[in-house]
Amino acid sequence: MKSTTFDRANLLCGLLFIALGAFFALQSLTLELGTAFRMGPGYFPLILACALILLGGVILLQSIRIEGEPIGHIAWRGMFFILPAPIFFGLTVRGLGFVPALFLTALIASFASGKMKPLTALVLAFCLTIFSVLVFSYGLGLPFRRFGPWLGF
Amino acid sequence: MKTLNAIIGATALAAATLFSAVAGAQTYPDRTVTMVVPFSAGGPTDTVARLVAEAMSKDLGQQVIIENVGGAGGTLGAARVANAEADGYTVLLHHIGMATSDTLYRKLPYETLNAFEYVGLVTEVPMTIVARKDLEPTDLKGLIEYAKANKDTVTVANAGIGAASHLCGMLFMSAIETPLVTVPYKGTGPAMTDLLGGQVDIMCDQTTNTTKQIQGGTIKAYAVTSPERLDVLKDVPTAAEGGLSDFQVGIWHGIYAPKGTPEEAVNRLSEALKVALADPNVAARFAELGTEPSPQSDATPEALKAKLEGEIARWKPVIEAAGEYAD
Amino acid sequence: MDFLSNLALGFSTASSIENLFFCLIGVLLGTLIGVLPGIGATATIAMLLPITFQLEPVSSLIMLAGIYYGAQYGGSTTAILINMPGESSSAVTAIDGYQMARKGRAGAALSIAALGSFFAGSVSTFLVAIFAPPLTAIALQFGSAEYFSLMIVGLVSSIALAHGSVIKALAMVALGLLLGLVGTDIYTGTPRFTLGIREYSDGLNFVAVAVGVFGIAEILRNLENEKTRSLLMAKVSGLLPTRDDFRKMVAPVLRGTVIGSALGILPGGGAILASFASYTVEKRVSDKPEEFGQGAIAGVAGPESANNAGAQTSFIPLLTLGIPANPVMALMIGAMIIQGIVPGPNVATEQPALFWGIIASMWIGNLMLVVLNLPLIGLWVKLLTIPYYVLFPIIMAFCSIGVYSVNSNVYDLFAVAFFGLIGYVLVKLRCEPAPLLLGFVLGPLLEENLRRAMILSRGDPTTFFTRPISATLLLIALAVLVIVFLPSVRKKRDEVFQEED
Repeated sequence: MKSTTFDRANLLCGLLFIALGAFFALQSLTLELGTAFRMGPGYFPLILACALILLGGVILLQSIRIEGEPIGHIAWRGMFFILPAPIFFGLTVRGLGFVPALFLTALIASFASGKMKPLTALVLAFCLTIFSVLVFSYGLGLPFRRFGPWLGF
Repeated sequence: MKTLNAIIGATALAAATLFSAVAGAQTYPDRTVTMVVPFSAGGPTDTVARLVAEAMSKDLGQQVIIENVGGAGGTLGAARVANAEADGYTVLLHHIGMATSDTLYRKLPYETLNAFEYVGLVTEVPMTIVARKDLEPTDLKGLIEYAKANKDTVTVANAGIGAASHLCGMLFMSAIETPLVTVPYKGTGPAMTDLLGGQVDIMCDQTTNTTKQIQGGTIKAYAVTSPERLDVLKDVPTAAEGGLSDFQVGIWHGIYAPKGTPEEAVNRLSEALKVALADPNVAARFAELGTEPSPQSDATPEALKAKLEGEIARWKPVIEAAGEYAD
Repeated sequence: MDFLSNLALGFSTASSIENLFFCLIGVLLGTLIGVLPGIGATATIAMLLPITFQLEPVSSLIMLAGIYYGAQYGGSTTAILINMPGESSSAVTAIDGYQMARKGRAGAALSIAALGSFFAGSVSTFLVAIFAPPLTAIALQFGSAEYFSLMIVGLVSSIALAHGSVIKALAMVALGLLLGLVGTDIYTGTPRFTLGIREYSDGLNFVAVAVGVFGIAEILRNLENEKTRSLLMAKVSGLLPTRDDFRKMVAPVLRGTVIGSALGILPGGGAILASFASYTVEKRVSDKPEEFGQGAIAGVAGPESANNAGAQTSFIPLLTLGIPANPVMALMIGAMIIQGIVPGPNVATEQPALFWGIIASMWIGNLMLVVLNLPLIGLWVKLLTIPYYVLFPIIMAFCSIGVYSVNSNVYDLFAVAFFGLIGYVLVKLRCEPAPLLLGFVLGPLLEENLRRAMILSRGDPTTFFTRPISATLLLIALAVLVIVFLPSVRKKRDEVFQEED
């Protein structure tokens, strides 16, 4: 008899779908369900959420039988620098203004790679900012303030 | 004669504002003014804003640029301006939704009547009561009787909660004291498509959206909601002629500034608005939308304040009676 | 013939020197802005819209149409080169186009996309010219019941988008549908799944979701093995398609054109399905369905043609009814109104030069797109030689600008980060993003039309079977389901037998 092996990717995947399905199902239950004839806001999503839980369950079951390829490396460093970049841009674009916000966003994203040297990152962020300001702010006239109130402008 | 007077008046006003512009040039405005439109680019309100902003730019000597901050029935854009710096460089162009969202939204992040300074009224777009072209009744009276007799089957389309067509539809049902079957859509486009295709019966919407269709004979018009008949739709009677005497509704637009904006900036903007509204090009474009610029006397802070207060009071009971809220 | 003289009028309007010039500028600007990652057609047009205000009405609209094609093509370019679709249609192109690029065939993929689009665009321009009025009449027969059934066809077809596990694809569709429902329920005004954040009350931004699950997930995947894997892309081999490629693309382009033209006419969102439907069909009719998802030429040629044909024919409801079929068309209407033209059923008779001029300029715009872009392909492909660690900060910066510019909504940027994370997790768990995106665009349409159909039929569910068009569509859905599952059942059985051997 073979030893029971789990496919970790599918196991996690099944659990993730069940969890997401449960989230939507619980939220739907707080909404008015209505009837099939006059559906409330919760009716359709509840059905979908149940389907998602069901599908998650099937994936979970499948994970017990077959072993797939391993999950492999995870880009921790990438996540740590890439994901905050747009958030940072969002938080600062109105306060700091377009120019510094974009410069710093590009700089933050640059550090996601181990190959990037600090000087290259600075030069890259600088050129990128110049280009974007010329194109979007001057060229297309998008309503961004180039320097924001946080800098005393 | 009347037009001549208007022209003379407008010219005098333009001259007066030109003078004040020269006088106040050192103070305000000395950089770009951002006009927030709380709807996405390309819609009727955006169009009104862009036409007015261009004309105001000429008078202010500074660019007035449009920033579209759409979402949540215009309340996101309004909230943005309510919290903006009160320096006169951020203003809001909003429509009737400014008044109705005060009731439609029970959790607004700003107090409608306390968060803004008023610049002035811009325009009031009339509404039309229209129906699919093969609906039987021939006039408004007939339509009302028909609706009352078939209240479980007559369908009223609207473009979503808080939309002009939703407000007008609610008011219509409350005026004829008959609840009909409401069919919401996401935006005017799909609602109009279904009206053209005869999938729904009635809609009440801005002339901006309906004039061309009425002229083309693809839908039937029963009434306009303005006090007088419209030049572009001469054959369509007013609601009052059709027997609904109190049924007057228009999508009015106003310009606001954040609370605490210096008075001279507000007045300067108001002057610029007056000049813009007297601009023949603006009037011509407005006419194509089935509307006209607000009279000069309404392009004032006082007029807008009175309008907003009056409209909040007017819509509150209608919305509460319908029990339809947006949050 | 009436139509020939009309078309002649159109071409004489559109081919005046200044209109040709504005068309060229439009196509060029549209391509250049649209090619920036994270900036799709809607954002591009919204950004470039004010530029056109200063022009004559006809020139302005011709330039805008040029911008539209340019932006669409630019969007496909980024989808192919860096797996960063800015539009639901280019999400499909990204599946196989990006795989082709990774195999060093980026040039071929881009040429195929350009040529397929051109052909589809030419054919559907003539369709618009000849059949616009009668086709409109058909489109108006589509009520909510019909749209619901059509969306069901789309949903059933979506299974083919996956090249891995069907169950996972279904789960991704379900998740996509749910994400599509985030926002205010239009029937009651109740906010759903917004976690109390008012900024999400109009739903999640498509570009934010697409950029997150496709683009950012891809960036993260490329960053994970940086030290061990130096070459992401195979060496670029040949910019132009080979004779063999041409042979492979003919049939898919033809089929894509038909599918796209038909779906684009429907004002209620048919064009959304065009590229998805074409992909499904191609995968079904192919002798080598296993190639799909690994860089199949038909997987680029079909959907790109379908998409462009649909984009073209979606001008039909705009021009004949004055009704926008999608957000891009809504922007076009806004531009027309600013120019003093309120679109409606009479535009064709009241302003024939404008109406036919736009139609003629569609074709000219498509031609310019090809002429302009075939030489540019070399340049685009060169971009791939930029080291990846330089490329992705640029990508992040542009997609931040692009996403923010649409509605100045900071929460859209937070959504980018969130969906980047979700997308990466799902990729690691071997789930594919395309079905999720299809679900996301179909979700609101499906629910809205279902509920509206039920209201209009006074709660009678047989409305879906008694209305002939709706019934036909449901039969098609059933047929698709049978065709999709039958061979896979048979194949499974074959595999089982083989294993036993």
